[in-house]
Amino acid sequence: MRNGGRARLLLVILIVTSLFLITLDLRGVKVIDGFKQGSQTVMSPFQRAGSAAFRPVKNFISDVTHLGRTRNQIEKLEAENANLKQRLINRKNADAQLKQLKSILDLAGTAGYKIVNAKVISNGSSQSFSQTITIDSGATAGIKKNMTVLSQSGIAGVVKDVYPTSALIQLASDPSFRIGARVAGSQQIGVLTGRGTSSASLQLLDNSSTVKVGDVLLSRGSIANRPFVPGVPLGYVTGVDNSAGAVAQTATVRYYTNFSTLGVVAVVVGGSESNPGDALVPVKPRVTPIPTVTVFVTPSPSPTK
Amino acid sequence: MLTRQISIATPIFLMIFVIQESVISQFRLPGGGFSILMIFALTWAVLSETEVAAVIGFAAGFLMDLSQSASGPFGQWTLIMLMAGYAISYVGYGDDNVRANATGIIFFVVVANLLVEVAYLTSGALLGVASGSFIQVLITLFGMSIWALLVSPILLPIFTRLHALVFDSRSAL
Repeated sequence: MRNGGRARLLLVILIVTSLFLITLDLRGVKVIDGFKQGSQTVMSPFQRAGSAAFRPVKNFISDVTHLGRTRNQIEKLEAENANLKQRLINRKNADAQLKQLKSILDLAGTAGYKIVNAKVISNGSSQSFSQTITIDSGATAGIKKNMTVLSQSGIAGVVKDVYPTSALIQLASDPSFRIGARVAGSQQIGVLTGRGTSSASLQLLDNSSTVKVGDVLLSRGSIANRPFVPGVPLGYVTGVDNSAGAVAQTATVRYYTNFSTLGVVAVVVGGSESNPGDALVPVKPRVTPIPTVTVFVTPSPSPTK
Repeated sequence: MLTRQISIATPIFLMIFVIQESVISQFRLPGGGFSILMIFALTWAVLSETEVAAVIGFAAGFLMDLSQSASGPFGQWTLIMLMAGYAISYVGYGDDNVRANATGIIFFVVVANLLVEVAYLTSGALLGVASGSFIQVLITLFGMSIWALLVSPILLPIFTRLHALVFDSRSAL
């Protein structure tokens, strides 16, 4: 009985402590932010190490274990082969990152954004039903909270928290992500909301405007370019909801960015002086016509006997 | 005795937190993946008395709140894990059908894992945290349960031995 009473008292104390922490956080007390900042600063080197260690394809771990054995020629060759395969994978990995980086630089260069490139060092756990990544650049590289993050093909997300040498990015696919969008060409405006997947939902603001499948969406931009710079490609409309009685039209949008393959991203630390307008609308792939040859054959009259 | 337990348990908790954040988080596993820290805390909670289980849940929840991927207010995971730890121990402790049986522990951990996630979603909704479309949430919950079911049997022997090391009990399976 006495033991049960003690357990209940402990439970009450712990519950009160938890509720106290929640209240402090919701009231924006800095001590709580300090806890998180401190833990992220400590965790950052571990995440870097983890990222470096687990980047190569895991299938070759068993091959790598044979590298030290040189009992005979076959094992030597196997080890060499595994090593070459490993280097090839590392090279492919580097090439893929280079390609992503080049595309990001092209995108940022066209718009005149000043960017800081960063590697993705951790993907956030989905246990909290949020979509985040951690990058290896932070406050020391000039990154601040609420800055636009670009991928090779468009928006990747927004800087949610900044630590000295790393930053937490809220991906555009996060359910709580919101961005002002405009349709390229027609300039209609709306709000794009993440859904936790590679698609998002667009809510138009004007009930008289309409969108159609294939329309391209760009970011509208924010005051002083934070959190969003204008003109960043977001995605394209894949479905339109024309249900009767809706206040304004809604649409399903597919993001240009593939969030599961993010290796390198760029944080926009300085927007362009002028609005890039529709300059960043991705060019549609051209279909090369295949020449066809038509042969007409006229049968010769059959010989008569 | 208490000092010894805390001094051994603290590095274990921190080590598992580091593994979760620096290794498990590297992989975007299909279906939402799993939280090794949550499975660890729930396993220990099954094996412990109610007051110890509450403290275990509190410590694990606090660390989960420290994670950068925690989207809710600080303390939300702490509160949920604390109550989950207490509840799972209240139901399971003293029942040898659960404690002395690996299948029983795994069943408890998997079900508790699912209920904890549902509690997180529900409390998150009350606190205004967005969690995505209903279908997406269902897929994630299902995926996490499957992952917990796959991972728990592998980790159970390690976690029970660590529990035995800290609490000097004979609960290692």
